[in-house]
Amino acid sequence: MTIHAPAEIVTQPPRRRRRRGTAKVNLGLISVPLLWLIVFFLIPVILVGLYSVGVLTLISYDKYLSLDLWRYFLHSDTYLGGPLGRGLFWKSMKMSFGVSITCVLLAYPVAYMLALVAGRRKYTLLLVIITPFLTSYLLRVLAWRVLLNPQGVIQVELRRLGLMQAGDTISWLYNSTFAVYLVLAYSWVPFVALPIFVALESLDLQMLEASSDLGASRLTTFRKVTLPMSMPGVVAAFVFVFIPTIGEYVTPQIVGGKAGYLFGNVIQSSFSASFDWQLGSAMSVFMLVAVAILLAIFARYLNMRSVTQ
Amino acid sequence: MGQLDAVLGNAATRRTFLKGTGVLAASGILAACRKNVDASGAAAAPTGSIGPIEDEPGVLHAHEWAGYDAKWLYQDYLDAGYPQPKFSFLVNTEGALAKTQAGFDWDVTHPESGYIQDYLNMGAIQPWDTSLMPNYKSLNPVIEASGQIDGKQYEIGLDWGYSAPLIRADHLDPTLDSYSYLFSDDAAGHISWFDTPWILQMAAIAQGMEPGHSFDMTDSELEDMKNYTIENGRKNLYNIWVNYQDMWDDVQTGNVWATYAWPDAYVALKDKVDVAYIRPSGGTLAWVEGLVLRSDTQNYHHAHAFADAWSSAMVGTRLIKSWGYGHANLDVDLNDIDPDVVKVFGLDDPQKSLSEPQSYLDRYQANRNAYNRAWNEVKASL
Repeated sequence: MTIHAPAEIVTQPPRRRRRRGTAKVNLGLISVPLLWLIVFFLIPVILVGLYSVGVLTLISYDKYLSLDLWRYFLHSDTYLGGPLGRGLFWKSMKMSFGVSITCVLLAYPVAYMLALVAGRRKYTLLLVIITPFLTSYLLRVLAWRVLLNPQGVIQVELRRLGLMQAGDTISWLYNSTFAVYLVLAYSWVPFVALPIFVALESLDLQMLEASSDLGASRLTTFRKVTLPMSMPGVVAAFVFVFIPTIGEYVTPQIVGGKAGYLFGNVIQSSFSASFDWQLGSAMSVFMLVAVAILLAIFARYLNMRSVTQ
Repeated sequence: MGQLDAVLGNAATRRTFLKGTGVLAASGILAACRKNVDASGAAAAPTGSIGPIEDEPGVLHAHEWAGYDAKWLYQDYLDAGYPQPKFSFLVNTEGALAKTQAGFDWDVTHPESGYIQDYLNMGAIQPWDTSLMPNYKSLNPVIEASGQIDGKQYEIGLDWGYSAPLIRADHLDPTLDSYSYLFSDDAAGHISWFDTPWILQMAAIAQGMEPGHSFDMTDSELEDMKNYTIENGRKNLYNIWVNYQDMWDDVQTGNVWATYAWPDAYVALKDKVDVAYIRPSGGTLAWVEGLVLRSDTQNYHHAHAFADAWSSAMVGTRLIKSWGYGHANLDVDLNDIDPDVVKVFGLDDPQKSLSEPQSYLDRYQANRNAYNRAWNEVKASL
């Protein structure tokens, strides 16, 4: 004991110094992203929340603190109090969910091919796939108008080939929910492929060999090994699409016509043309909370912790 | 109207969408941290004494619509030796109001007349001294009246236009003279609306309501018009346009037979397809835009010279010829303008054409939120 005691005394201070030094480095590393999140996420969300209860208002003389607007939003037939408002909210949810699932289903084979089949060319192919998406999002959405509208490439060609009568149009192809769904899915597929690609690329290939050595078919190996191990990438990809598309308003406005009006459009309209920041803020906060709850349920349902481990 | 150029102009669509997003984000943060513009809402007076022009900084800051920085719009100002103004651009008047409230500085800006009261409530503007503007006496008094509050000229009304149906005359009977084109079963599947609560007012006027009253409908009237609009929209609407050039394309290709439009659409399309611009005989809704003067401007005299240059007959003639917008100056050279345009827009007697009961100019709506919320419900219900 008398031999060990001095050793402990001697060894402890450097350990503390290391901890202190490591803590400083960690703090330094985390401070910039933390500051970024606080300034550009947390504070804006708080401000939006304050607008929704009237603590902040655009015109300073009508400041108030009240939940009246929330009551209006939650009880009015126009918004969540009636089937119309709820319908619009669920329409947005369904649209976003459907687009996210579709994107994952479309992107997974692409990512699989790139990560596990393409070999040395995988990064070149990845670049080829991504390149068109380096152009402006809006430009790509606008390009779909040219394809889908009644006088657009698709319908004109169908008429030319005699597959449609001269005056006929395919009403569901443009200014429709389908058009919004299609364009959103197209727009997000490559971004979904990336996290899945990363997850698949980091797979330990020896696991696949072991599965094969143990007699599993390729399908079984995929089902029991590849898919579960790539789930973190799949979940990340899903969330990566679900969150931005649920508040989407540009694509519905451009290709959705009267059928494409979503919850995000109501929010956008409130902040711009309607000049109704209070209501827009209430709707934004509601959507933020709804998405957070949904993602929490989703994460729990998928048991994300076990997936990531 | 200018907001259309800024937000929805074809060439600038992408840029302005991004700009719009940026404006919203920036103004949100700024609005929360704003300096106190004026909490009283009272009419503002010039905050400093008005000194001689020599003491002014000189470089005027105009917060304008994209495209309104074209030099010919203020050529007289430049010719008089004043320095080139500095321009910043607004996406829509609502965004400009929010930025102003957040503390964004400008010397002059260019809102629709319906928003002057909002600027005044914020204490952001002061009346013009029209005696400093030689061209003011040539401006249409009907338009200038729309820029007055309590007898003071808070806005120099400059550009104007109607909001009315544009129809394909080869598909629809052009003699109807009514807003009912925008709701008619005859154009089922080929009707296009602009994204504005004015559609509710047009529905009301089509149903026989006095146009002036359409700016101040009761809740039950608004409810009725909302239901009427939803019912007809579900049956007959093709789309709600947000980009005017998309609307022009749709009219030209025949996707749309009846649309909410401004006069510029008629000027752009009349030589391409058989279109008619309808000024409903029961009264036509019209908009006016003009320059307002910042309450604490340091460029008081420069601002007046700038507004005076904008008010000239030369600018008016070119504005009508080039863009199909109206202009407040009554001395525009009609010989230089397409006679068809003169006739359709009533430019030969603009005072009469813009006066009630022929036209009903945009105005401040205290219950604007009710209209907007009803309009949101319409859009959500289609």
